Amino acid sequence: MTSPAPLADLPLPLPGDDDRRRVAARRSKALQITGDQSGDGRRGRRIALRLLSLLAFFALWWGLTRAGIWDELFIPRPGAVWERFLESIRTKTTTTTTSAGMEIVIEKRGLRDALLWEHWWATVQRILWGLLWAVLVGVPLGLLLTTVNWFRVVFEPWIDFLRSLPPLAYFSLLIIWFGIGDTSKIWLLFLAGVAPITLSIVSGARSIPRDRLLAAQALGASRLQTIRHLVLPSVLPDFFNGFRLAVGFAWTTIVAAETTAGLPGIGGLAWVSKKTGQSDIVILCIIVIGVTAVLFDYGIKVLERRLLPWRGRG
Amino acid sequence: MNHHRIRRPALVAVVLAAAISLVAVGCGSSDSGSSPDGDPTTTAAGSKATGAGDSAGAPKKIRIAYQAIPNGDLIVKQQELLEKALPDTEIDWQLFDSGGSVNEAIVAGDIDLGLAGSSPVSRGISNEIPYQVVWIHDVIGDAEALVVNEDIGGIEDLEGKTIATPFASTAHFSLLAALNDAGVDPSTVDIIDSEPDEIFAAWGQGDIDGAYVWNPNLAKIIDDGGKVLITSADLAEKGKTTYDLGVASNEFAEKYPAALAAWAKAQDQAISLIEEEPETAAEIVAAELEITPEEAAAQIGDLIFVRATDQVGDEYLGGGLAENLFAAAQFNKEQGEIEDVLDESAYQDAVNAAPAESAGG
Repeated sequence: MTSPAPLADLPLPLPGDDDRRRVAARRSKALQITGDQSGDGRRGRRIALRLLSLLAFFALWWGLTRAGIWDELFIPRPGAVWERFLESIRTKTTTTTTSAGMEIVIEKRGLRDALLWEHWWATVQRILWGLLWAVLVGVPLGLLLTTVNWFRVVFEPWIDFLRSLPPLAYFSLLIIWFGIGDTSKIWLLFLAGVAPITLSIVSGARSIPRDRLLAAQALGASRLQTIRHLVLPSVLPDFFNGFRLAVGFAWTTIVAAETTAGLPGIGGLAWVSKKTGQSDIVILCIIVIGVTAVLFDYGIKVLERRLLPWRGRG
Repeated sequence: MNHHRIRRPALVAVVLAAAISLVAVGCGSSDSGSSPDGDPTTTAAGSKATGAGDSAGAPKKIRIAYQAIPNGDLIVKQQELLEKALPDTEIDWQLFDSGGSVNEAIVAGDIDLGLAGSSPVSRGISNEIPYQVVWIHDVIGDAEALVVNEDIGGIEDLEGKTIATPFASTAHFSLLAALNDAGVDPSTVDIIDSEPDEIFAAWGQGDIDGAYVWNPNLAKIIDDGGKVLITSADLAEKGKTTYDLGVASNEFAEKYPAALAAWAKAQDQAISLIEEEPETAAEIVAAELEITPEEAAAQIGDLIFVRATDQVGDEYLGGGLAENLFAAAQFNKEQGEIEDVLDESAYQDAVNAAPAESAGG
């Protein structure tokens, strides 16, 4: 590429500019990894596309139910789901008078005795607790596995064993041990989340170039200093991968975890509604779970960008 | 990596200890946030020795397992009758979907009072679950029935057919009883275990020839062309009555007879409302089940309710129920459903009419 510096006064396109444009054009035909965070000024178009796909989805949904091909039990109308949503966010009070003249007040709070946000918060709280313990245990565990030989020899098979189990396989045991309350659910989410976090730390630490470790040692860094200044920053990108996986596992596990004594809870509400054939409430729950999970993921991405501004550009 | 590994066991120990203490703190804090603080086992432990003062005391918290069955229990819950009767007690209502899971929760010590069908209760007593029957929520009438394809003539024709029912439920018990009564060996029928909503889905797909199931899925199958061969009301006439029962853990019943009596009183109030103000009762049940009052009224109509004064009679808590539970256990053993039947006295001891007596008086 030529240096454009001496031609800076000229009003017309610079030859260097042209070169650059050509290079850019060639690049755009080459394979690109989509979805990286290099925002390229096409934000408006992106939002429009997404809105359009959402609109198309609702139109398709509306059209299919309108055509009446399937029973409402299988695909409820968008309107029915909307009505359930309105029902779920308010408390309805009706008063009836019995024939004996007694007044009876029937207070109906949201759906299944709780407002939508109360169901939502109960579930989110369980997930946050489970993830918190998964991180607090998973990170030290990963560090121990990579820095202490005997620990790795003894515990790695156990972690591999735990990792390969579907969490629901041991959920009934957790209920026997910890009861039907939140404790067993938080344990389940913790166990589902701890393996990906631990393994992400392990894989991150193992990919640290040996030279760097040797350099740190040569400069007289203690074990703790090496962990603090070399290992922790190096494993951070892998940690975020593992954490996102753990969040995903937590969301896939929670609905199942809330099949027992899951009310209030979004998963519990979905389960009860499935049992009673109220598909409109099930769809409402699915939408709430989906939107929340996407927001969680978005939040983690933002955090990652803040903490790791160099990621994807190195 | 080996070069990096400096032998310093002290650091390892510190990190390990930190990790372990975090876990310990974590469990502790989530425990206190969720599990019953006022666990009767701990709050009552001190007062147990004092005797007289014991029975008058109200528990801090009562943990109740309820089910989505349109009976008085839902009215007690919706109208907060128990909360009003025991203002100083926190009532924790937990929804369960089968008597089997209520049994498990009582074994685990998570539940003080629960609703379960007579078949799971009979099994529970046979397995020496430390609980007792203190109430009859309802007698299952037409709410559970055997529905089949229209081309099946009668129960005798079920050989080789696929019939779905939730295992270990009252419906399962009734299905076996109906087959036996018609002289059909149950082992010649393909009986599959399935949850009620899945039974309806399987029916819609044509995967099953019939089902013994309850409302609302029973009503849906009938709407979809299902033919009723026999109902639990018919079986009751043949001596195979099934019930939805109220059970209390022995520990709770011994420590808090006054609270149990208040609970029975609330239940009796609810049944009187169902009998005297059916429309209001339907509205209340509808609010609990997220259905319309008309649907609720139809479902309530398929159950038979018994007031406290009648419950204590010989037909029910006064003797008949214990016989029924014993007979159900014997039947379940014959069918290979349970291992052992206890002595008949165990079933008599497991029925406690005192709360109903005090509620009726």
